[in-house]
Amino acid sequence: MRLPAALLGLFLATPVLADCPLDLGRGTGWVVFSDHYLMAFRPDPLRIEVGEPFALVLNVCTRSGAPAELIAVDAQMPEHRHLMNYRASIRSNGDGRFRAEGMLFHMPGRWEVTFDVRAGEESERLTHDIILK
Amino acid sequence: MIRFPLRIVLLASLLAAWAGGVFAQQLLDWSPEEIGAVGQHGPWPPPPVRDPSNRVSGTPAGIALGEHLFNDPRLSGDGRMNCATCHQAGREWSDGLARAKGAVELDRRTPSLWNIGYLHWFGWDGAGDSLWAQSIRPLLDPREMNGGAARPAGLLRGDPTLACGYEKAFGEKPGPDEERLLVDTAKALAAFQATLVSPRTPFDDFRDALVAGDRERAGRYPLAAQRGLKLFIGEANCNLCHLGPRFTSGEFGDIGIPFFVRPGEVDPGRLGGLARLAASPFNLLGRYNDDVTGNSTRRTRHVQRQHTNFGEFRVPGLRQVGRGGPYMHNGSVLTLEDVVKHYSEVSPDRLHSDGTPLVRPLGLTTDQSADLVAFLRSLDAEPPPRAAPPPLCP
Repeated sequence: MRLPAALLGLFLATPVLADCPLDLGRGTGWVVFSDHYLMAFRPDPLRIEVGEPFALVLNVCTRSGAPAELIAVDAQMPEHRHLMNYRASIRSNGDGRFRAEGMLFHMPGRWEVTFDVRAGEESERLTHDIILK
Repeated sequence: MIRFPLRIVLLASLLAAWAGGVFAQQLLDWSPEEIGAVGQHGPWPPPPVRDPSNRVSGTPAGIALGEHLFNDPRLSGDGRMNCATCHQAGREWSDGLARAKGAVELDRRTPSLWNIGYLHWFGWDGAGDSLWAQSIRPLLDPREMNGGAARPAGLLRGDPTLACGYEKAFGEKPGPDEERLLVDTAKALAAFQATLVSPRTPFDDFRDALVAGDRERAGRYPLAAQRGLKLFIGEANCNLCHLGPRFTSGEFGDIGIPFFVRPGEVDPGRLGGLARLAASPFNLLGRYNDDVTGNSTRRTRHVQRQHTNFGEFRVPGLRQVGRGGPYMHNGSVLTLEDVVKHYSEVSPDRLHSDGTPLVRPLGLTTDQSADLVAFLRSLDAEPPPRAAPPPLCP
């Protein structure tokens, strides 16, 4: 669940990404990226427990430097084809920083978290798998 | 010819060797992953929890008032029923009936109150988002206690002992607001119910020994129960929903029980529960929530109603399961053996899952079924005798 600081360092060392604040503090988190977007996020609390609500703290950036927006966060278990029983709400804290509140994984296993992001007219869905034991 | 004392020494040695061998043989091989999975079902009991939405949760005065009210038939419309009519201490805080019987027979079984303070959704359909909100429903429901909203207020104001108990619990005399006193009655009832924690069981001793690496102590757990536990956390995947120390996710599932309660009428389960939750003036988003942080409202604020909620019911905890029954939300399965048979033979057509189904026919052999039952029965223990409730006021 933890991303080594070295990985964050690698991204931060890449010139085109240098302006994107991928460090979410506490030295942990995940980084997801595509051709246009990059995003760092971590859960709050840091350890996700089955059946316990958590939030995601996110920074969303574009590679072009244009402002990016987080539209929706959801999660599903692809193996069982079901979603969470809860719908996350998103709050923008400015400068590409967001907080998605109200997440809850009610079963152990593989959860695919989806992030719908948008910059101007362009939107995209980023995904990340979290294995919950 | 062997002399008598020597025979005794030899016999004792043989018995000791046999016993040692038995202990060695009685512990199956448990992989680190299995030990990790077993460990997640404990330790037991967990620390007590306080409900922040209920200001008398965990307080001795609130608990004492709640226990007196729990046993008081004056809360019912005809003065003949109390909470303990259906939630009987001697019947694992249920009633042993297939369908609950209040003023009339209901469509669902009386759920056990064991470990209910650890839940987040209450009732088979989760229409209650707090234990106190859930406790209001049977007081008012004409099919159950049929007490009416004004009855608790009259009782708390009119009975000097209860009035004194109320003042000790809530720090003020019962006021004029009837709805407030109804809610406070339910909060005291909830405070009492949250103290009902099931006892430690043979499974807990095994779990602790296994996690601690104490093979000898772990080996005292019956082989059949060990085999059943391996099935439970392995091939049968029961722990996907029956997880954690309470053996429940606290969420909802459809396990293939028929929807119909009578010809032409269905029980929508969680789908209907969520509609009732949203409409309730007593949900955690309302004015009776005592939690000023707002943290207790997270589930209620974010829960979403989905079409898949139709026919889902709350996953029950499994502690004391063998001492309860009948089973399922509608009491349609009589014995624990029949429960295992249900999961062994459930129709995949009825469950119509798009992905890998969570519930599928396990196709258990007779021996496997017996092992699973043996494991489930190892989650049972005799509760200690209950003391009489303390007096409310001198």
